[in-house]
Amino acid sequence: MTTRPGRVIRFTLVGLRTHLLYMSRSVTTVLFTIATPVLYSLIAIYLSHAATHPARVIQASVAAGLMGIWSSVLFQSGTAFQRQRRLGVLELIVGAPTPILLALFPITLATAVIGAYAMATTVFCAVVFFGASITPFLSPLFLAAVLVCIVTLGFVGVLMACSFIMLRNAYALVNTLEHPIWMLSGMMVPLSALPGWLHPLSWLLPSMWGTQAVRDSVVGGPVAVPITIALGTGATYLALAVFTVKRVERRALALATLTLA
Amino acid sequence: MRTFRVTLIGGIISYRALFHWVRPASFVGSLLAAPLFQLLFFVFLGRALGVADDRFYVLGNVILSATGACIFGGAMGVANERVYGTLGHVLLSTCRRGALWAGRSLPYAVNAVAVMVFTLACATALLGVRMPVGSLAGLAAAMVVGSLSCTAFGIMIGAIGLRFRNVDTIADAAMMLLVIATGAEVPHSALPIWLDGIGLFLPLTNAIDAARGSVDGLAGSAVMIDVGREVLVGVGYAGLAAVLLKYFEYRSRSGLSLDAV
Repeated sequence: MTTRPGRVIRFTLVGLRTHLLYMSRSVTTVLFTIATPVLYSLIAIYLSHAATHPARVIQASVAAGLMGIWSSVLFQSGTAFQRQRRLGVLELIVGAPTPILLALFPITLATAVIGAYAMATTVFCAVVFFGASITPFLSPLFLAAVLVCIVTLGFVGVLMACSFIMLRNAYALVNTLEHPIWMLSGMMVPLSALPGWLHPLSWLLPSMWGTQAVRDSVVGGPVAVPITIALGTGATYLALAVFTVKRVERRALALATLTLA
Repeated sequence: MRTFRVTLIGGIISYRALFHWVRPASFVGSLLAAPLFQLLFFVFLGRALGVADDRFYVLGNVILSATGACIFGGAMGVANERVYGTLGHVLLSTCRRGALWAGRSLPYAVNAVAVMVFTLACATALLGVRMPVGSLAGLAAAMVVGSLSCTAFGIMIGAIGLRFRNVDTIADAAMMLLVIATGAEVPHSALPIWLDGIGLFLPLTNAIDAARGSVDGLAGSAVMIDVGREVLVGVGYAGLAAVLLKYFEYRSRSGLSLDAV
């Protein structure tokens, strides 16, 4: 019943709106979604003495915005099921006829959209406080690349949420993954600065391809290839999430410890 | 004897009971792995921007790695009494407040030093950064004094958490301020004057300068000046924490709202 395309789209949009409003009401969530990227963009600007170089300011603000999207997805999606457990609705979600993945995707997508607040804030700071031009940020290619980043990181968030559902200490893992993915995605640290043996790991991340697409859209490079690869790798993560959630669901039903894990 | 018991044994018990990250997974993820990855992030960023050598970022981030244990630990060690409903018992107890709160500080300071040593050891092994043997005494002094002053800062935040509910938000904001204003990631010369000035009144700023000065071969007296400044900052925050704790305790008694502040 709930897997017809029209219903899936409607379910996703309604769920996205619901969770977006819910998360946006949390001052802590919004504050740190915005503040952390601004902090890192300021660090990059001060380090590279970029305050008088608008191009460097744009690079730093875009990089920090992408970091904010990942942080939002990581912290909110990684602990999505723990949050639902705390709210007392996890068993209802798992027990409902709606596939868990379909119930989960709007949550993780909302976390990525919340992360876009970071991009908007860092761009605002770059334009208002450092005199960067707003033109690159209004181009359709830039907006499309950011949208692809949001969607593909939403897919990654689904896999994370499914994987972490049985972990009591998911927050510890979440704390650990922030900086590594920033580095491996080349968001602020260029991949050329990393050891060569890490580069193949980067290629497996949709965030790396999304970052390249966003960066290319700002400097006028080719965007189609990285966007395509980002969507492809993101779809792979979604497929992994489908496989993982089926196993998790079977295990949760067998052990009956969903509310206790 | 009673004071000793309250300080030492009470401190250890409260550390075990109130510090959420004492569980092995959380301890490793949040206190060991996360600071190490942050260190690597800034080392690679520094290499990419050509701002400073690896040693600059290693020393800055080693000292900064104390923030997790000190700030969140100090905050949890005080504010979690209200979360668990034991604040009234603490405030009604007749034990000396100085011994009580000092005892809660010590485990976090020890924890912070252990985290610093671990981070330094890993950075040395992974990046090949070597510290001169003659600098170890100054480095150790910087670590110990930095952890104590940062813990006093954390206790002060915890005291604020007795009055305001979102102590995690305050602690996160404090950590961000330390990242950008202490000179750990951005050299003092690259910071705006007003931000560098704020950093003088924050914990860890002088400890970081002492650590770098010691490793760079500065005279012991110069290093001790920075250590002395860090001590002063720590004493200031300890005093502020004591005043806040006393004040909030007075307010809760006068308002008959021991657990409802």
